[in-house]
Amino acid sequence: MNAYAGVFAVSCTREQSRGAKTLQRERQLNQFLAEVERRALRIAEIAVRDRDEALDLVQDAMIKLARNYAGRPGDEWAPLFYRILQNGVRDWHRRQKVRNRVMVWFGRGRSGEDDYDVVANTPDPAGRSPDDELQTHEAMQRLEVSIRELPGRQREAFMLRTFEGLDVAGTAVAMGCSEGSVKTHYSRAVHVLRDKLGDHW
Amino acid sequence: MNDPGKNEQIANQAKELFDDSVEQLDAATLSRLNRGRHQALAELQGSADTVKWGRWVPAAGVAAAAVVTVVVMRGPQVDELEPVTASDFEMLLEEDSFEMFEDLEFYVLLDAVASEANGDVG
Repeated sequence: MNAYAGVFAVSCTREQSRGAKTLQRERQLNQFLAEVERRALRIAEIAVRDRDEALDLVQDAMIKLARNYAGRPGDEWAPLFYRILQNGVRDWHRRQKVRNRVMVWFGRGRSGEDDYDVVANTPDPAGRSPDDELQTHEAMQRLEVSIRELPGRQREAFMLRTFEGLDVAGTAVAMGCSEGSVKTHYSRAVHVLRDKLGDHW
Repeated sequence: MNDPGKNEQIANQAKELFDDSVEQLDAATLSRLNRGRHQALAELQGSADTVKWGRWVPAAGVAAAAVVTVVVMRGPQVDELEPVTASDFEMLLEEDSFEMFEDLEFYVLLDAVASEANGDVG
C-alpha cells in the first residue's frame, strides 16, 4: 500500500514539475511574441501592403512557432519566427501572382499598385503638429515604396537587419541562406535605397 | 557610392521611421495581435496535452500488437484474414484516424447518402 502511495506521489511530483515547465515556457513565449509582434506586423505589412493580410500572416507565424518550435532555446525563436513569417510572405506573393493572372484572364485585373494609401492606413500619432506628422508620414511612405521596389531577397535582408535588428547569422537562418548572401543582399539594398532616397533625406 | 557613413545614416533613419510607425499602431490592431498571440499560446497548451496523451501511445501500440498476435495465432482457420503490417498500426495510431472516429456520425451520414444515391435504401 505504501509502495503504491510512493509511486503515486512521485508521479504527481513529476506531473507538477512538467506543468511548471510548460507554464514557464508559455510565459517566455508570451514575452517573446509580445516583444516581436508589432514590428513583425509592420514588416509583413510593408511586404504585402495590406494590414489584415499582414495580421493573418503574423498570427500564422506565431501559431506555427508555438506548435513546432516552443521547445527550442529562446534565443533561436527570433530567427525561426521570421523564417516562418518570410515563408508566409513568399507564399502570399505566389498566391497573389496566380490570383492576379486569373483575374487578368477574366478581364478583372487590378489596375495597379496605387490604391493603397499609406497615409490613410497609418493611425494618427499623439502629440505632434500636423506638419511634422505629415512629413513623417511622407518620409515613411517614400521609404515603404522604395523598400517594396527592392528585389525580394534584398527587401528581406534589409528589413530583418535594420527593422528587426537580427544579426547576420540570425538573418541567414531567417532567410534560409548563407551569411555571405545576407551581407550581399543587405549591402545592395542599402545602396539602392540610398540612391532612391538620398536626395530626400 | 561606398560611403559607410552615409549607408549607416540611411539605415538609422529608416529604422527611426519604422519604429515610429510601430509606435503608432492603433488599439484595434494591437488588440488583434494580442488575440493572435493568445491563440498561439493556446496551441502550446494543446501540444502539451498531446505530449501527455502521447506518452500512452507506445503502451497502446504494444497492447494492440499483443491482441493482434493472439488473434492471428488463434485463428488460422480464418482463411481470408489478411496479414497485419506495421503500416496498419501506424495508420491506426495516426492522429487523423482518431479524428475520423470523432467524426464517425459524419462518415455514417456520408455512407447513408452514398447508399441512397446508389438506390440501396431498403
